[in-house]
Parts: sequence; C-alpha cells; structure tokens
Amino acid sequence: MRIQLPTAGAVVLAFLLSNIVPATIPRAAAEEAAPGFQAVADMNLPAGGTLRVYLDYDTVAAAGLDPRVATTARSWTLMGLSYETLVKVDEKFGFVPGLAKSWKIVSPTEYVFDLREDAVFSNGRPMTAEDVKGSIEMLQESKSSWALQLGPIASVDITGPHQVTIRLSAPYTALLGALANTPAAILPVKEARAGTIDLSKQMVGTGPYVATAHVQDESWTFTKNPHHPDAAKIGVDTIDIEIVADEANRLAAIRDGSAHYAFFNNADALDLLAGSPQARVVKQQNTDFYYLILNSKNPTSPLHDERVRLAVNAAIDRAQLSDLALAGLGLTTGVTPVTLPGACDPAKLPSATLSDAEISKLLADAGATNIKLSLTTWNEESAPAQIAQIIQQQLQRFGITIEIKVVDDPAYVAEFYGSDQPATADIGISWYAGYGDAAMVSRWWNTEQATFTARYMTGSPELNALVVKASQEPQGASRDQVLTELCAAVDKGAEQIPLMTRPGVIAYRTDKVSPTINTNEGYGNLLRYITDFRLTGTK
Amino acid sequence: MRILRWLPGRLFSAVIVLLGASLLIFAAGRSLPGDYANTVLGPLSSEEARVELRESFGFDRSLPEQYVLWLRNALEGDFGLSLASQRPVREEIASRLPITALLAAMGMVLTIAIGVPLGVYAGCHVADGRRSAATRIVSTIGISLPEFVVGSVVVFLFSHFDFGLTVGTFVSPAEDFGAGIVSLLLPALVMAIPCIAATARATRNAVIDVLVEPHIAAAIARGETPGFIIRHHVLRNALIPVLTLTAIIMAYLLGGAIIVERVFNVPGLGSYLVLALGRRDYPVIQAVVLLTTAIFVLMSLLVDILTGIIDPRVAVTKAGPGA
Amino acid sequence: MTALTPMARRRGPVARAWAYVASFDGFTRAAIYVLAALIIAALLGSWFGLGGSPTDIVGRRLQPPSLAFPVGTDNLGRSVLPRLLAGVTTTLLLSAAAVVLAALIATISGIMAGYYGGRIGGTIMRIGDILCAFPAIVLAILVAAVVGPGSIAALASIVLVTVPLMTRMVGQAARQVAQREFITSAIISGVGTRTLMIRHILPNVAGTIAIQGTYALSVAILVEGGLSFLGYGVQVPHASLGLLVQEGAVYMVKAPWLILAPGAILVIAILAINLIGDSLRDRFDPREARSLT
Repeated sequence: MRIQLPTAGAVVLAFLLSNIVPATIPRAAAEEAAPGFQAVADMNLPAGGTLRVYLDYDTVAAAGLDPRVATTARSWTLMGLSYETLVKVDEKFGFVPGLAKSWKIVSPTEYVFDLREDAVFSNGRPMTAEDVKGSIEMLQESKSSWALQLGPIASVDITGPHQVTIRLSAPYTALLGALANTPAAILPVKEARAGTIDLSKQMVGTGPYVATAHVQDESWTFTKNPHHPDAAKIGVDTIDIEIVADEANRLAAIRDGSAHYAFFNNADALDLLAGSPQARVVKQQNTDFYYLILNSKNPTSPLHDERVRLAVNAAIDRAQLSDLALAGLGLTTGVTPVTLPGACDPAKLPSATLSDAEISKLLADAGATNIKLSLTTWNEESAPAQIAQIIQQQLQRFGITIEIKVVDDPAYVAEFYGSDQPATADIGISWYAGYGDAAMVSRWWNTEQATFTARYMTGSPELNALVVKASQEPQGASRDQVLTELCAAVDKGAEQIPLMTRPGVIAYRTDKVSPTINTNEGYGNLLRYITDFRLTGTK
Repeated sequence: MRILRWLPGRLFSAVIVLLGASLLIFAAGRSLPGDYANTVLGPLSSEEARVELRESFGFDRSLPEQYVLWLRNALEGDFGLSLASQRPVREEIASRLPITALLAAMGMVLTIAIGVPLGVYAGCHVADGRRSAATRIVSTIGISLPEFVVGSVVVFLFSHFDFGLTVGTFVSPAEDFGAGIVSLLLPALVMAIPCIAATARATRNAVIDVLVEPHIAAAIARGETPGFIIRHHVLRNALIPVLTLTAIIMAYLLGGAIIVERVFNVPGLGSYLVLALGRRDYPVIQAVVLLTTAIFVLMSLLVDILTGIIDPRVAVTKAGPGA
Repeated sequence: MTALTPMARRRGPVARAWAYVASFDGFTRAAIYVLAALIIAALLGSWFGLGGSPTDIVGRRLQPPSLAFPVGTDNLGRSVLPRLLAGVTTTLLLSAAAVVLAALIATISGIMAGYYGGRIGGTIMRIGDILCAFPAIVLAILVAAVVGPGSIAALASIVLVTVPLMTRMVGQAARQVAQREFITSAIISGVGTRTLMIRHILPNVAGTIAIQGTYALSVAILVEGGLSFLGYGVQVPHASLGLLVQEGAVYMVKAPWLILAPGAILVIAILAINLIGDSLRDRFDPREARSLT
C-alpha cells in the first residue's frame, strides 16, 4: 500500500492550524469586575481545598527567608503569606489597618500606632509592642536597601501596652508606604534575639499561612495558620506553589488545568490563552516601571554629554515600546509611577516636548552624529530584549547605532554594579518596583543614598536635594509641584530614564478558583487578597 | 582472559580523563562572568555584605588552593553548600539525580524496546527496495528532530488538546512512582526519538552484516525457522555495535535532559544545572557537571567491559556519528 | 553515469559538479537540491534583500501570512520571511565556519596522533577523551556561559563539541594509512615528515574528514539551536533558526508560523545534511557502504 505522506501531513497540519488559531481572538478581561479590581472572589463558595499557584521564580537571597533583605517582588509575595505589616495599601493606594488597627499622625515627625491585640505569631505567641519596636529597629540595623526606604527614623518608643510611637528626625511622607511592604514585616523579635528562631531559615509571622515545605526553586507548600485571629475567614486551606521558569510551560499548565492561578511576564499571555474557555486572563497594572540606564560615568562615551543623553531620552517613543513589547499595557511614566496618586504628567516632561529637529540639533551641537552605543540587558524575561530591539530601531533614525548584548542576570549585574570602575556598557535596561508612594522610588536617583548606582550615575546635588524635598513635603498641591520638578530634573539629567510601567498578567482557571485581583499593584504582591480566594471546583 | 590485559590501562585512562575534566570544570566555573555575591545579594546590597559573603564561602583564597580543596572534598562526597539554598549540594543532587536517571532510563528503555525490533525488521527486509528506502528516510528524519522543537510543539499540543496526558504537572516518582512514570513519559519519548532512530539504524546495519555470514546460510540450510535464526544467531551477534552505541546514547540522554527538562519543567539535574548557572552557584555547577561526566565515563567503561566479555575479539574503541 | 566520464570532464566545472550530483541516489540528490535552495535563498536574502529587512519594524505585530508578508509578522511587527532567510544564513554560516575550524584542528591533530602514535598521539587522544566526557550540550552551555552569549560562544562551543570525535576518526584513519607499505617506503626514500603528512596521509584520510565534517555540520546546527533555546546563542536582533524557534515557541496558539516555519527549516536542513553524510560514507567507507542502501 502506498501512503501519500506529504498529503496526509498537509491534511493533519491544516486540521491542527484550523483548530489552534481561533477565528477571532477575544480580548480577555478589558473591564474591571469592581472598581479597582480585575476579579472579585465569590465569598459564598465553601472554604477549604488546595490552590495550585504557578510562579516564575522563587525567593532568592543569601540571607534566605529573612524578609528584611528580600529585594524581589516574588519574595515579597511569598513571604507576605506568612508575615504581616503594620499598615497595608488598598486598591487605590490608600493606607488601611494591618497589624496596627489605627494610627494618628500627630505631627509630620510623629506617628502613633495602636496595635491589634489579637495578633499571634504562628508559634502561638501573641504579638507585643516589643515585637513592633524591635522589628523596625532590626530593619534599621540590617544592611537591607529597605532600611533606606524607612526614612529618617529617630526613635521607636512603646507608649502604651499596645501602642508604639515612631519619631522622625525630619518629615517623611512615605513612611506609611515603607511600612506597608514585606521587608518591614513584624518579626518574632523575642525569639529572633534569643536565637531560638533563625529568621533566614524559618518564617514565623502573624500572617494567614505557614510554610510547611520548600524546595528551593521548585515548590512551596503553605497551610492555613490556625493561630490567625481571622482563621475562620480564610478560604483556601493549602497553597501549593510551583516555580516554573519557562513561560510556555506555565501557559500549558493553565491550559491543562494543572495550575489554578499563574503569573506571566509576557503581556501577550492575555491572548495566548484564547481557546481555553476555562482560563480567564487579567492584566494587572503595576507601579513598577522599566527604565533605561544612560551611563554618564564613562568619559569616552558620547553619553558623558548631558545633551546626548537628553536627545536619546527624547528620541525614544514610549508608546511604540509599549505597543510592541507590552501589548500596549505599559503606561508612559516619569520617575513618579504614573499609576500612583499625585504622580507627574509624563506628557509634560522636557524630553516629551522636543521635536525631531530639536533632538537632531542637540546631537549635532554635542558633535554626536553617527555614534555607536552598546546596550546590555538580561534574558530572564522576554520584554527587555524586545524593548532593546525597538529602541535600536528608534535611535537608528537619529544616526545612533545600537549594539545589543542580552546576557544572563549575573552578567548584567556584573556589568553595572558591584565595583568601583565606571561601567563599560553605555545603556542598560531594567526595572524598579514602584511601591505605594509616588516619591519612594525616586530615592534610587539620590546618589548620596543609592550608592549602588555609582558605576553609571553622576547625579547632581540639586537632584539629590529635590529627592529629599519630595520625601518631606506633606500630601497636597505643593508636594505635587515638587514631584513635577523632580520628574523634570530626572528627565533632563537622563541617567536613569523611566520608560513605562511594567504590567503583569495573571491567569486563572474559572473552574478551579475564584480569586480577588486588584487592578493596580504597588509591591508586586500577586497574592495580596489570598484570604478572600475560594475554590470553585472543590470535590 | 584478554580483558585483563587492557582493563588496567583503560581504568587508568578513565581516571586521567576524570581528573582532566575536573580541572576544566573548575576553571570554567570560576571564569564565569559575574560575581556570586552580587547575584545573590542583588545590586542594591552593600559592599560589606558582599565581602562577608565571599569570605564565608572561601572565595577569597587562591584558585589552586580552592581547586585542591574542592577536589579532595568531592572525593569524599562533600560538594559543599549550595549558595542559593544553603543546603549541602549532595542533598540537593540526591533529590534530583533519581529524576534525571529515571528519565534517561525511560529514554533508554524506549530506545531499545522500539529501536532494536525496528532495526531487526528493517535488516531482514533489505531486499524490498521501497521498504528499505522508507526505513532510511524515516530513521534519518528521526535523527534530525531536535528536542527543543519537538518538545515545544508537544507541550503545546498536549496542553491545548486533551490527549489524556498532562504536561503541566510533574509528579515526583518518589511520592507516587506510577504517576511519576506517567508524567515523565512525554519528555522521555521526545528525548528518545533521535536515539530510537539511531539504534534502529545501527541494529539494521548489524543485522545485515550478520545475515551475510556463512553460519547463517548454514542455519538456513539446516532448516531452522527464521524466528529461531534471528533470536539465536542474529541478535547475539548484532548486539555489539548496538551496545557500543548505548554509551553514546546515554551521554546524549544525560545531556539532552537539560533541554527536555526545561521544556517540560522536570525538576531534574539538567534544569538544576541551568538554574545554578544563572545564579553562579559554583558548588552546584561544578558538582553537577562533574557528576554527569563521571557517570558518562563510567558508563562507557561498563560498555567496554561488557563488549569485551561478549566478544573478546573486539578491540576497545568507541566510534560512530556523535549525537 | 559516474563523475569521471570523459564527456563530463570536457564540459567544465559546472557540468562536472552537476554530473557528480547526478551520480548520487534520489534521496541524496533531493537533499543536495534542498540544501542548495536554502543556501541560494539565504544569499538572496542577505545580498539582495529578498523579502525586506530582517530587523526593521514594518507592520502590525503577529499578522498571519499575507501577500505583503509571506510568512506573517513576528511579535515586534517584523516580517518573518527576511528573518527566516537571515536565520538560515546565520545558522549555516556559523555552523559551517565552526565545522571548518573543527576540521582543521581535527585534521592536524588527528594526522599527528595517527602518524606519531606513542606519547604525542596518546596525549592528543586523551585531551579528546576529556572533552568527550562532557555531554555535548553541557559542554556547550558551559563554554557559552564563560565566553558570554553570542556568535563567538556558539562557534567555540560547536568547535569544542565536534573536534574530539573528528580527531579520533581522523586519527584512526591516519593510523591505518601510516602502517601501510607505501608510507614505510616513502620514509625509507627520505621523504620529509611534513611532505609525507600532506602528500601521502592527508589524501587518504580526506574521505573520513568529509564524512565526519558533514555529520559535524548537523551536530553544529543542533548545538546552535539548543544554545539559542537556552539563551546563550546568537544575539538579537540578529536571527538564527534556533533563536527564531525560541522566540516563537510561546506564540504557538496565536501565531504558529513563528515556530513552525523555522522549526521545519531546521529539521529539513539537518535531514538533508545527514542524508548527504550517509551517501558520502557509502562512497568513502566501503565496509559501511555494504550495509547502507
């Protein structure tokens, strides 16, 4: 018998293609489920069951599980299951009670927190004011970068059985924003100081879940904390977390139902799960944003000249970057994350108002026609390399040739950080977490405080002063004015230039879980509303 | 026994090879760009914290000193602590090696179970021109299928359509052996395709070689049935070239596991190596690569010894197209 | 008709090449044509800009194949056709360059090992054994991680992966030749070592080099693909077949052409090269030839 292989192959292929490519791809989840929320859990569903969550990477730090030194969003998410903070942010970036049931701002330098009386650590010991005071002091003593974000704390005093007072040496508006993130979690200070709990190896917090198993870079198991005062209201009993580095594999896990809830960096995931009717995909806007390093420290580089940096800054079309690399989800931003209240208007930045002719003139004045610049970025996510390629095209128009190098994470870090020599690469692409207050991330532009930028950023006393001023100004019109000035100064100095927000995509199986997902997230916490989650397919 | 004459020399060269490999591995590990302390502590960390960490792992000593120390400890089975997890590398490997070993073993079983019968069948039907041509083209296609292409397509197809096997869940064979085997079936098959093709081809060639030998003609003349001839004369003699190929295939499976494990999210030694590389987790990188090479060197030694026992005439050589 | 008919010789090099191709069986001829077509397409792409620029953003992203974009557009709105052509160019050029380099090293060291034997030969073979002890992709990613991702890393990896086996095969062949009588008589008649190696041994191991080189080429393409897949290969915005597969893998549901087109070309190229390798082995290695149709 003669089998017509090519014909059979073509028929099979045609069948597969016709099945794979949906005729029309519905744009999933364009509208919010409720103001500020992409999804709201159905709390009438019965509690209990095991939730399977797929994340892209694990906690990693030499200090292990100590929340104080956690620097990545995934660590904040995972540790946030076991630890709680004094205050929390709500979906509009307002501050709401956490372990502090209320607080009073007595003066710009004095904050009084009244603590919950029923908070209990997962070892059964009730939380005391000593723990709160000690946690803040231990964070200040640590070598953590978050100690910088805490601001100029002069003292933490116990002013009542369940009350602490924080006094500042200077006004600091972002204090609540700093206290709301996992690195400022309240630790079991008594045990930690006595040495009976090693914070780097064990997570003993007041949070809703206790980690019962962890294989580094593979998986976590969290179970409900029976000591939690709200234990009865916690929906999911057990959370199984799988760490899956490969995006395509996480997509597959949602498609075949292995994962109930998964995170994606690739904004296209919104469309890539089309054809899986049980999968719902939502975008989550972040205060995190991508930025470009324009290395000013290398005297032989054209970027040593401020005019060239401004020209490069102005030549970049953020809207196109967002459209092509982030499926249009990235929002153009200044140094104050545009998704936060009080942020400056990116359309009014100096670079945004320059015409093509003005850009060319800047370059010509600096003698920088037909220049070559090297750009280094990293490969753990797909977006940075894509952004690099689009920027390469955009700068080509102005006679700037970009040579791209996409390296792994350690090589990228070696290029820009951790030595005294000026970095050799001209341009870098990375992102900062934007946190919950518009002035917080701008600290990384203050060269006196953020010493890790020393290899590529010269900075200026004026800019440093503006950063400090922005952190001191109380909420209101005058602060907005300072933030606008700050944005303009960052934009003109153009040493780290904000590009656009870094959105995330969350997918979940409607037949497995009913989650609550906020539209805007400030600290990369993908499971912020985990206690509200309910399982739908509990058998 | 002839085997005793070459075995000591063969053992000696295996030791030399492993020593050379260990030096190469150490040198490569330490030439990786990027610094562990920076990578783990993050760019926002302070310089003192980094120095402290480097010292705590002995990275401030001279390189030859570090190498000797590493090798001596490695010989005692102590590979130090993983920089990322702070657990002994030996424990980390102990939980992952069985998975990769099982995956490779499944690949091997599939290879032999499918490849050898196919090869024997093809070898016995060379006279049929069309079938012979089909064998050639199919086996060549099999050899030419890269696992990252096939794997990506398989992961998609098996998740998008319901074929009864899931690709998103890995079940550890240590917890549930049966389910573990099932979850490793697709990656093992993807990995085995080129090996099946190569084995089928080698078997076929070996069978053809044996079939023309006089003692087969004699057996036919004696009136023995074809099945009996294949089982008793052909297979035994055709075994040797196939056996030689298994060492190469084992290396391929161990190496190929890196990509397949990544594509299918199997937490074995291969994906662990890629992860460790991305972390500059030197103790892990060095231990995993050393272990992989050691296993491979031992496997080829074993194959040589087996070959020597089955057919004492065979000189010890490894040959064939590399995979 | 064989390659050496007088008629063919009179017809000049093109006709002779044609006749040589014609002397192979159908599969091999098809493989040669396919490979030639790929090379010509790649040349048209890189020299004459067939299909447009491989790096320019020209249209909407993830467009299905159309008249304007015969293989659709990718996730950045670049036309896939020129990227495929550029990918074929990079992959073939890189692999070929690496294999030529590997063949050069293997030939020199193999002939030396085969001719001298003893300590020199042993040392060369032992170095080869050490490199052989690493599974190919492990060695490749280790090299690439040290050198830093890019074409140089891919080149170095491929050379290191392919050299040991080639050296061993050339060494074995050279050893057999070196023991033949005409070599002994040449030594007696005072022919210099270098002349001996180049004039007498090299021509006799050329077949082995050709066979091994061909197989090494298919290994090279696989290694380059694997490296790119793991993020250690050719740098963007340049394209290689492996990189295109890697970039396209995630878009299977929305734009299957992004992975299927480079994936298919990759498989076809390796297939063609393997078929040609088999035929070369039939021709140069008579023992093996008997067992291959």
